[in-house]
Amino acid sequence: MITVILRSMMITSIRDKISLFYALVFPLIIMVVLASFFDKNHANVTILTSVTAIGTMFWGMQGIAFQVFSQKNKGVYQLLKLTPVSPIIFISIMILARTAIGVVLNMGIWIIGMIYFKLDFSYQSILLPVPIIIIATLCFTAFGFVIGHLAKNEGQVNMLANFIQLPLLFLSEAFYSLQQAPEWIQAIAKILPFGYFTEGLKGAVTAGQEEVLLGMLVPFIYMLFALLMAVFTFKRGINFGNQSFLKKKTAG
Amino acid sequence: MYIQAKEIEKRINGRIIINKMDIAIRQQEILAIIGPNGAGKTTALELLLGLQTADSGKVHYWSDDYKKHLGVQLQSVPFFPGLSAIENLKLFAAFYKQVIATNEALAMLNKCGLRDSAYTEAGKLSGGQQKRLAIAAALAHQPELLVLDEPSAALDPRARQDIHQLIQLLHNEGNTVVFTSHDMDEVQRLAHRIIMVVQGDIVAQGTPEELCREHRVASLEHLYLKLSAKEETA
Repeated sequence: MITVILRSMMITSIRDKISLFYALVFPLIIMVVLASFFDKNHANVTILTSVTAIGTMFWGMQGIAFQVFSQKNKGVYQLLKLTPVSPIIFISIMILARTAIGVVLNMGIWIIGMIYFKLDFSYQSILLPVPIIIIATLCFTAFGFVIGHLAKNEGQVNMLANFIQLPLLFLSEAFYSLQQAPEWIQAIAKILPFGYFTEGLKGAVTAGQEEVLLGMLVPFIYMLFALLMAVFTFKRGINFGNQSFLKKKTAG
Repeated sequence: MYIQAKEIEKRINGRIIINKMDIAIRQQEILAIIGPNGAGKTTALELLLGLQTADSGKVHYWSDDYKKHLGVQLQSVPFFPGLSAIENLKLFAAFYKQVIATNEALAMLNKCGLRDSAYTEAGKLSGGQQKRLAIAAALAHQPELLVLDEPSAALDPRARQDIHQLIQLLHNEGNTVVFTSHDMDEVQRLAHRIIMVVQGDIVAQGTPEELCREHRVASLEHLYLKLSAKEETA
């Protein structure tokens, strides 16, 4: 039973062409464009880690948010309430399926990037990014699940996703240094997970053990928080019908 | 008796949606719940199914694990994007902890007139085909009781006729079917028993013949117009 659900969730994710574009093609385009502007030899690791991190976040958050919103609107979760499958099992399977594909895609970006930038292949640079990407994908996917449930329409899916993604991206040192930024911005950046994620990926190439550890630990804490929120919003959502749990359904 | 609801009441924002309603679903019948838009048909169904909780009253089920024996088609068509008709069907069976083989799934789709569309993406099927797939999904775990919420709404005459034949076939195979509808021809043709709901109250119930006799009307269409006039004058 679980195998059928897992396989189906993987198929539905793989056939989601828009998510695939943003998770795979878009980061690769950014990588090539940025590499043409900056000195490849100096900025290569920064560009590689940043585009991989962007791919991970887009796949995890935006992709599943639209998927969940569509399923919620079509009454999938209402129907699930009438089946013996527990919501927590369904959420877990869906997030796992999405994470498995996300890891394959982002490791694809990582390896293509390493070849493109002619970086040295080592066990460390190939194996260490795997757990970092797994944790980050789980974290962003769980946030995407929450967004999909909170949104009342597709526009809100986009707005809520941007509301989380843009600060994460711009308040990190993924593409530029924050050393000249006001202290309060630096303080906020220190509590957000995206910067730790990109630094963790960099650590995998530059042998920065502390960066790798923090790159797993901080997103892991956010992941636990996001998973709890995902379960909470899912349970509330199905109790309030097809609509967002913020607005109760008044059926005829 | 499959499901028996006693004096169930539902209020939303202080407004009574379902008013102390008694409903029984009997075995081997085709029961139609009719009424104007906003009368409370869907809410009544959702209360019966346990999708919403009644503010007062009780709903009794024939079995503790009734969910395993209950198939439901809601008004929306709940398919997973990117999956074909057969993939969706297998997934819905899995939700009931059943693994169905491809030939079984194809037989089910064939019964619902979807054999040729088995490998078409569910989202690309026509409205009538999607409704039939929703019914097939409700049947995937071979339930005893099938609940269909407006199964033929917004369909062309041919697609409607296909749905009618399917409901009749399912009943002939031993299923109990409950459906909501606005189409009195459909109700006249299919239903053994009718419950008419207006403004959250049951205003009539019985067989089509009993109701027409009791209310001295020539058809269910006339009965519907007569009894739903209460809503307009209220």
